[in-house]
Parts: sequence; structure tokens; C-alpha cells
Amino acid sequence: MSVNDVPRPKRGPHLVLMALYALFILASGSRAAVQIATKFHVAPLAYLLSAVAAVTYIVGWFAIRRAAHGRPRLAEVMLWVELAGVVVIGTLSVVRRSWFPDASVWSDYGGGYGWVPAALPIAALLWLHRTHERVPEEQKETAS
Amino acid sequence: MSALVPIAWIVAGYAVLVAGAGALGVVLKAPRPRWLDQMAWMLEALCAVLALGAVGSLIQGHRPASMSTHLGYVAAVVCVLPVALGSVREDRDSWSSGVVAVAALATGVIAVRLMMTR
Repeated sequence: MSVNDVPRPKRGPHLVLMALYALFILASGSRAAVQIATKFHVAPLAYLLSAVAAVTYIVGWFAIRRAAHGRPRLAEVMLWVELAGVVVIGTLSVVRRSWFPDASVWSDYGGGYGWVPAALPIAALLWLHRTHERVPEEQKETAS
Repeated sequence: MSALVPIAWIVAGYAVLVAGAGALGVVLKAPRPRWLDQMAWMLEALCAVLALGAVGSLIQGHRPASMSTHLGYVAAVVCVLPVALGSVREDRDSWSSGVVAVAALATGVIAVRLMMTR
């Protein structure tokens, strides 16, 4: 593969991932904001965790954008943090129902959102793995 | 208020069609066709009708269970598609069809949620 064949950072599957992250920033952010503002006393842990999820999606969006421009370090950390969050909070919401009088974004592994929150970091990690597996080979060929 | 229900279902059904067309573009690795943009803007026009209907029913005195949630859905249903289309305005790559597909699907879900919170 020559340098000219390397896809421009503006194009590629990361566009779809970023669109999904943007949607979840909107969904979890507005959900957390409304719930914290109007009924925080009902389920403070769940609502704070929804806010944490929103922040994670914001950082995740930037991390994927940076990774698409060849700087994957932040994404390598953030996507695993996000996946761990979905797994830990999803499991806690199943085994400790009393801690979650109301659902958070990651309750039941994101079941309230069609399990997209669980699939999203996995898809992003697969993209990251595939994209940055190719980069060293391209760099070798460019150098030669 | 009941008039909103059929409009919301039309929006949701048409959104699924637009999302399917966008997903097909990604699968076929074809550059984003102009007609997909036109389909998306048609969906946006339907969303505007739905939002106007929702606002009209609020003006007539109808009060949903959670006003803030309902208004959030009204705003989201008209904003998601223009933002998505704007973000891929100069990009006709096949993956940009995926962005349109994601936005259309999200719009359909929001339309259904809007109907549920009315």
C-alpha cells in the first residue's frame, strides 16, 4: 500500500462510531441533567452514574477522533474504561437491584438503549485494533 | 393530541427506510448518493411536522407527564438529522451513508419516544 492509498482521517468507520457517541452524549447527558435536576433524591447513584456515562461518551468521542488522526493512546484507555463501566454497572444493576431504584444508562448492560452501550465500546475497540494494526506496516512501507 | 400518533408512526417507519438505505450504501461501499440526502431531508420535513404538532398540542393546554423530557424529544427530533447531514456535507464516502443511517434510526426512536411521553 502506498502513502496515497492511506485513507484520509476524515473518512472511515470512525465516522459512524463518532455519530453513535454523539447520540449517546445527547441521550445520556440530557437524561442525567433532567433526572438530577428534577428527582435526584429518587435514585442518586443511578443518576450520577448516568452523568458519568455522559462524560465517558464525551471523552470517548474525542478519543476516537484522535485515534482516527493517528493518536490512539487515549482511545486505548478510554474504550476499556467504558467497557468496564458497562460490565460493572450492568452486573451491579442485576445483582443489587436495591441500589438502582431507577435505571441508569448502563443498567442491564444498556438494555434500555437496545444494548448499544455494551456493543459500542466493543465495536470501537475492534475498529481501533484493525486500524492501528495496519499503521506500522504502512509506516514500514513509507520508510522503505 | 391523537393526530400526533399516526404522524409519529409515519416518521418512525420512514426513518427505518432511510436507515436501511444508508446501511445498504455502507454494505455496497458505494459513494453516498444524492437521493439519500433527499430522503433524509424529507424525513426532516416530517419531523418538523411532528414537532409542530407536539408544540401545537402543548399550546392547546395538553400537559405531558414530564414536560422537560417531552420538550427534549421535540428538540432532538428536529435537530439530529441536520447536525448529522452537516457533519458529512463535504464527504460522499460510503461511511457517510452510515452516519445518515445512524441519525435516521435515532430520529425514528426519538419519534416513538415522543409519542410515548405525550
